[in-house]
Parts: sequence; structure tokens; C-alpha cells
Amino acid sequence: MMRFENWLYTLPLRVRSLVLRRRQNADLHEELLDHIDRQIEENVAHGMREEEARQAAVRAFGNLVAVREQTHDSWPWVSLERLGQDFLYAFRQTRRSPGFAAVAISTLALGIGAATALFTVVDHVILQPIAYKDPGRLVQILKISQYFPTGTEPDWTDIEQWMNQSRSFESMAYWLRMRGRGNFLVKEPISLEIRGTRVSTNFFETLGVRPEIGRDFVSEEPSKAAGSVVISDALWRTAFAAEKGIVGSAIRINDKSYTVIGVMPPGFSFPANSNDQPQVWVPIDPAADEVASQKSGEDAAGVYYFVLARLRPGVTLADAQTEMNMIQRRVAAQYRNPEYGKDQAGAQLTPYEQTLVRASVREALLALLGASLGLWLIAVVNVTGLLLARAASRQREIAMRSALGASLGRVLQRMLVEGLLLSGAASLLGLGLSIASVKLLARQLKDYLPLGAPPFVPDISILLGLLSMTLLTAAMATVWPAWMAARAPIEPALRQGGQQAGTGRHQHRVRGVLVSIEIAMSLTLLVSCGLLLRTIYTLRQVPLGFRVDHILVASLDIPRYRFAGHDLMSALYQPLLERVQQMRGIEAAGLMSRVPLGPGETVGLGIPDNGKVTSAAVGVVSPQVQRILGMHMLVGRFFNGDDTPGSDAKVVVNRAFAQAYAPDKRELASVIGMDMWQLKKGRPLHIVGVLDDQHAFSIAAPSFPEAEVCTCQLTPDVDLYGLANSEMQLLIRSSRPEKDIVPELRTLLRQAAPELEQVDISTMEQIVEDSYGSQRLAAHLLAGFGGAALLLCVAGIYGLLAYVVAQRTHELGIRIALGASRVNILWMVMRQAGTMLLFGVAMGAVNSWLSSRFVRSFLYGVRAHDGWTLASAAVVLCACGLFAAYIPARRATRVDLVVALHSE
Amino acid sequence: MSKPTDLVQGTLDLLVLKILALQPLHGWALSQRLKQVSGEVLQVSDGSLYPALHKLEQQGWIHSEWKPTENNRRAKFYSLTRLGKRHLEREAANWERISTAISQVVRLTEIS
Repeated sequence: MMRFENWLYTLPLRVRSLVLRRRQNADLHEELLDHIDRQIEENVAHGMREEEARQAAVRAFGNLVAVREQTHDSWPWVSLERLGQDFLYAFRQTRRSPGFAAVAISTLALGIGAATALFTVVDHVILQPIAYKDPGRLVQILKISQYFPTGTEPDWTDIEQWMNQSRSFESMAYWLRMRGRGNFLVKEPISLEIRGTRVSTNFFETLGVRPEIGRDFVSEEPSKAAGSVVISDALWRTAFAAEKGIVGSAIRINDKSYTVIGVMPPGFSFPANSNDQPQVWVPIDPAADEVASQKSGEDAAGVYYFVLARLRPGVTLADAQTEMNMIQRRVAAQYRNPEYGKDQAGAQLTPYEQTLVRASVREALLALLGASLGLWLIAVVNVTGLLLARAASRQREIAMRSALGASLGRVLQRMLVEGLLLSGAASLLGLGLSIASVKLLARQLKDYLPLGAPPFVPDISILLGLLSMTLLTAAMATVWPAWMAARAPIEPALRQGGQQAGTGRHQHRVRGVLVSIEIAMSLTLLVSCGLLLRTIYTLRQVPLGFRVDHILVASLDIPRYRFAGHDLMSALYQPLLERVQQMRGIEAAGLMSRVPLGPGETVGLGIPDNGKVTSAAVGVVSPQVQRILGMHMLVGRFFNGDDTPGSDAKVVVNRAFAQAYAPDKRELASVIGMDMWQLKKGRPLHIVGVLDDQHAFSIAAPSFPEAEVCTCQLTPDVDLYGLANSEMQLLIRSSRPEKDIVPELRTLLRQAAPELEQVDISTMEQIVEDSYGSQRLAAHLLAGFGGAALLLCVAGIYGLLAYVVAQRTHELGIRIALGASRVNILWMVMRQAGTMLLFGVAMGAVNSWLSSRFVRSFLYGVRAHDGWTLASAAVVLCACGLFAAYIPARRATRVDLVVALHSE
Repeated sequence: MSKPTDLVQGTLDLLVLKILALQPLHGWALSQRLKQVSGEVLQVSDGSLYPALHKLEQQGWIHSEWKPTENNRRAKFYSLTRLGKRHLEREAANWERISTAISQVVRLTEIS
């Protein structure tokens, strides 16, 4: 290639020649004529006659036109001009056969659109880096535990020793959500809900991000930093009109006053999946936390933090893991409770980025991206087949051009340009499709993805991806047909008149193989789709253990600061419940800290039991809820009006709990009367009833030991009061339609507290539906992909056979004339379809067998290698394929003898 | 139409550069000079000089300019550029090396 120096030097020359194309042509003409003139003069000077001299000069010069052409080749704009010609030509070709263009473009658009939509989501969720310095080196550290398979958070004693003993980390920070939801920046007239996080003073240093304005808590003693706050850019803009003088002023968060010391840069958020919610960060003082937790009375209760550490350069995750395991083993050996010590003798390090997107979601998205790429491949293969047929029917034209001197490269270029035009148009259409489908899926995606729905407008990386996909599509779909057409011998193509009967068996076989590949890939998509549909079906058959009809759920994000110092039960919840119950058409209304399969919180409590620690999820519930959800009691009773703050402390457990802890495993009733935990010091909880199991966390997961305490015994001095303090769920059973009740309900909520008007209200049916999350999304998408693949397959089979039949009209006519029966002819064509289907299904079966492990994580109640699903997908595919083949086959049997024999 | 083969093309480029290094010339004069120096060895038509000249110009080795000649006419004169001069030196040295090597090989075969 040209050296850069020369490139720079000749740049003006090239620009000039591009601008003055006409001048350059005239120049060359003058230059060549000048040469000939001078030669003539020279010849005359040597004594030739004028005419003789001219002839000699022209002869010596050679072919003037060819010289000019060759000289043109060295000019830079000529190739551009040719490209332009090719585009124009391709455009005209495309316009001349709009049917072909429409089929090819929409096929490709389908494939490109699906892949682009999925890539948009994957890019948003997985690929985009978080806005921290070198986020790949940030790790989250938990303690391992058998009772909490996802790991358990350390307390300050653990963290202090980790900090002192570990060498793998540049710095180690810790953080904790400001308790629950319902944190408010207190302002008049209405307060602003914010997301609050408590962080260690070295936190921002560990993330490697500095405030845009002001400073962070760096290098301060925790006790000195107390009372200061760093706010997010979003909060600064929405609540303080981006006022520069904000640093140093006092703001009120919930019931405390803080001094703003810094504003973080735009785009910064922590936790990283909080999007653009207004956020604040306040410092943690572990000593103060400890005092506060001891004051609350329970000695086992401590404060647990999430640890976020930055790996030293050069230290691998595995190194750090080994070191932390060793340290935590030593730390755990000193635990007061040896059971905990044995259980938590190890650490678990996870890259922070991975804690944001659950592994299953990640896998799901990648599998779906793979499926969409499969669809794209099918589309490309389909269009390759179409182009192959088209190239065959244009063999004569191509041969003619080659005969007239077009080089191989030129012929290839022209066909590539045609492909580019098709795939370019398809990409535009596909982009539109992908934007529309992301918009359509936005609600599902929002519920399901941790980082919210992706933006509808694709960003630069998507567009770059789309561009490379366009080029790749054009190249893949055209190179082969172009190569075959350009390499075909010229002479026979020119000699044959009109249709060339001999485009050959080879061509048909190649297209047959392409169609088989399409069938194979479609079968794979259909099988995955079938597996997921069966999963959804099975999930819907699982008995939930509670009723879902006619139930509304409102998640009460209460503005705690308004009720500071009050008993929430008597100040807010009870009056609200009473008013709701007085609404028209309300059968019952109740409160629950966590709705099965839905929003809310429970507390995980460990139960030391004969040298074995087991845990249960503990929530609170009001007596009416049993009726609302239709929960079934196995033994004993649920809460009722007799239970009051003053009466005996009672607890109701579920079947899984009884099975785990009943003294007599065969007799669940033996659990009744046992004392578990303490409501508060000196008030043990008696078990009074056993509920049948419900699917509380996931339909697919087995039930977990659970226990419920009555809201009627939830006074502020009780440990579980924290649940009432964060977010309670209001459940309403009513026969009136949802849209009638919701406005009335919102009015009531506003009267209770203005901030409550906008809380989330949902139906129980919706909550259950949403809990199918990943499976439902995957099933919908795969059903779409599978359907599209099936359609493309049918189009591929139909296209090939219709073409073959049209090409063989003459031959078919002869066969019929010689006595072949219509059935023979029908059979002949159908056999060809049968062969393609057979090969396709065989390849597809192998392929599905190999690839079904990618969907395994979604499946419930069906094995990844399910013969029935495979067989039914194959049957559907074959039936559609044979139907597609039947149309051209029937046409073949109706060939008119006279027309067929004259067709040559 | 006789199109110079690759070998001849390379040689032609080198010859053109060498001749232009001595003095700027227009196309016809250059073709006369070529015939003089190479005798009958370089069997190409006069016309095939022009694609070569234009290519060399596009590559930046030579520069062209219309200049008046005798009898009120004008002709396009080609001259070597600074880059071309360096290129010529390199190529000439290359040529020297290769031709020495080849002639040695040829002589070897004659001896044995």
C-alpha cells in the first residue's frame, strides 16, 4: 500500500482530480494527441509523406481508447464512479423485480431486527461499564454459609479484622442501604422520595470517583463525618435547581438534619442499578451502630454490612479468594457461637459487576441473543438461496458481460453492491422493528431486568453493530452466488437460448443443502420454544397455595419521618385499614409485610437448635389476610381478634417449618405450643398454627420454612417492628372491578399521607404473572423467533421447489407426454421436499440436543432433552414443509403439455 | 493491444524515473529517449507509457506541469519529485543487488 508520506503528498492532487474530473479527461486527451502530433512531425522530418506519417504514428501509439481506459484506472475517482454506477444499476435491478426485493428485504429485516433488539438489551444490561474507575477490580465479599446459600454479610468485627489482615486489596469499604424504602428529603409542600445509602468514609475513594462539587468523607474519623451528606447530581438538579452554593447548607432527610458536603458527578449512582433516582450517601459510624443495636436489647442482633473492596493491581480474584478464606477461617474460629463459626468459616468474593445482574438473567439474555442470531442466520441462508436462483436466471447477462471484458472483480463487485443495497434497506427496516419491539417489551423488561428498560433510541455502539451486521449480511448472502455466477463458463451460457435447462443439478443440490440447513436451525429454535411453552404450562399448573382472584395489593412506601415517634400501627395502619374496610364493596382488607411471590420484606432469623442452626423467613400479617388469600390451615388456628398487644405472643408457621423443626417429624401437630424466638425480651413466641405451604418466593422453588407474627402484637418496642417501619403491603379483596376501586383507594391513601398517593398498586393476578419473569419473557421471544423461523423455512422450501418446477416445465412436459402419471410427477416433487426435510430434521435434532443446555436454566417440570418436545416440533416443521412443497408439486402435475413442449 | 507484463512494467517505471531524474521531459520526448536508451529490448507501444506515467504521478513519485514549447504550443512536462528521487535511489540499489545476484547465478550454471 501507499506510504503515508506519499499519501499526504498526493492528497491535493487527488482532491483536484476528484473536483476537476472533466478537466482531467480533456487534459489527457490533449496530452495524447500532442504525442501523436509530435510523432507525425518527427516522421515527416524523416521524409515521410503527411498521410503515411500519420498512419505510422497512430500505429506506433497503439489503441488510443485502451490507453485512455488504462490511464483512467490509475485515477482515484474512477473506482468511486464505478461504485456509483453499480449502485444505480443495482437500484434499477431491484426496482425491476419488486417482488423479489420485498421478500429478500423483509426476510433480512426480520433477522436483523431481532438480533438488534436483543443486542440493545444485552448491551444495556451486560456490556455497558459502570461509571466507576476500573470497575472490573471491584469485588463484593460475603461470608459463606450453608443456611444462606447466597452468602451472608459480615459485621463490623469481621470487617475490622479483614481490613487489618488482608493484603490483596487497595482499599476495603462497606455500605448498607438506609433502612428499607420510604426515605424522604423533607421539603414543603411535598417531600421527595430518595434512595439513601450509608457508606464507610473511604467509600468514594474505593470506587475511584470524586464529587463534582465539594468533597467526600475521605480521611475523616467516622465520628467526625457524622451529620454530613453527599448528594447525587439528580437530586441536586431536581430539588435544589442545580444551585452551586448547596455545599455547606443543611438539608433534612427523614427525621435528621445533615450538612451537604459534596455533589457527585452526573451519571454516578450507587448501588449501580439505581438509575437516575435521586440519591444521598451518609457516613457509617460502626461504633454508633453497635451502640444503637445493643440498645435495642437483643444481643444476637448486630449490624451487617456489604463489603466492597478494590483488588490491588496484579492480584487475581482467585488469589484474593484464597487469602480471604484463610483470614475468615481464623476470624470465625473466635465466634462466640461455635455453630456460626463452623458455618461461616470462609469468604465468598464476587466481582461487583456480577452482583448487579443475576447469573440466570445473564445466561438467559445471552441464550436469547444466540437464538436471535440463529434467526438472523436462517434469514441470511434464505436470501442466499434466493440470490442463487436469481444469479442462475441471470447467467446469460453475466456471461455476456464477462465476454465483453468485465473482469471477475467487476462482476463480483456489482453483485456485492446489489446485496449491500438489499441488506442496507433491510437494516433500516430492521432498526425500526427493533425499536418497536424493545418499546413493546419495555414493561416486561423493566420488571425483569435489574437496570431498567433500555433506551429506545439506539446508541452509537448499537449503530456500529448494525453497520457491521449489514456488511456481513451482504457479504454472506452474495459472495457465494456471485462467485458461482462469475466463475461459470461463459460459452455454454451464451450458446443456450432463453432459459437454460442445465443450470444444473449442482445448483439445485446446493440450494437444497441451504434449505436443509434452514430447517435444521428452525427446528432448534422450535424445540427451545416448545420447552419453554411446556415450562410455562407446567408452572401454571402448580398449586399456589393461595387465591389470586379479586385481590389488589398496594405497596405502602411510607414517609417514616412523618410518623417519627409515633406507633405506626395505631397512627397510620389501623386507621387506614378501617377506612379502607368502609369502602363500598370491600370484602376484607389486611396488611402483610411480604406478599407471596410479590413485593415486600421478611427477616431471616436463625434458630439455634441442638447444635444445628436453621433459619426461617419471618414476616408480619394481619388476621384478615387468611381470608383474603384463602390460606389453608393444616393444624391449629390463625390470628384473630383475641390476639392483642397484651396477650400471649403468638406465631403461625408453615408446613415446611413444621417439617424441619417439629419434635416428632411424623406428626406436624407436635410443633404446636413450641416456643420459638422472642417477640421481645421475656416474651417467647408460642406456635399456635401450621399453614399449608405457599409458593412464597418462586413458583419453581420448593417452600422455605416461614413464620408469621400478627400485626396486632407489633408495638414499637418489638424487634420485628422494623418490618412495619419499612414497607407494608395493603391487601384488599373486593368483587368490584379494579379500575373502580383504585381511584377511591388513592384518595384514601392521600388523606393518610400525601406521599402515599403514588404508591404501586397491582392485582394479585399480575403479581403471579410477573413472577414467571424470565420464563415468560424467554417463551414470548422464543415463540416469536420460532414462528419467524418456521415462516422462513416454508418460504425457503416453497421458493426452491417453485423455481425447480418452473425450470423443469419442459422436462415435465416430456415425461407426461411419455406417459408419466400425475401421481408420479407429484411424488417426484414431494420426494425432493421430503429429502430436504429429512436431512434438515436429522441435523436439527442433533443441534437441538447439543444446544438445549443453554435453556436448561429456564426449564421447570420438563427435561432439557425432551423427546416429546423434539418430536412435536419436528412434526410441525415437516407438516408445514410438506404443505409448502405441495403447492408447486400440484402445479407440476397441471403442466399443460402444449405449453411445456413449446417452452423452449 | 500489448499490455506490458509485470516484469516489464517494473522495469519501465524504473527507466522512466531514471530518465526524468536527468531532466524534466514531456511524454513524447520521454518515449524517444526510452527508445534510445533501451534500443529494441523494450517492446511496448508508445501509448502504454501514459498509464505508467499517470500511475507514477498518483503515487507521488513524479509531478506534471503544462509548459509552453516551441511554436506557441504547450506540452505536459513530467519531473521527479523529492519523494521520487529517494524512491529511485532505493529501487536502483535493489535492482543492482538483484541483477548482480541473477548474473552470478547465470554464470554459475555456465561453469558447471
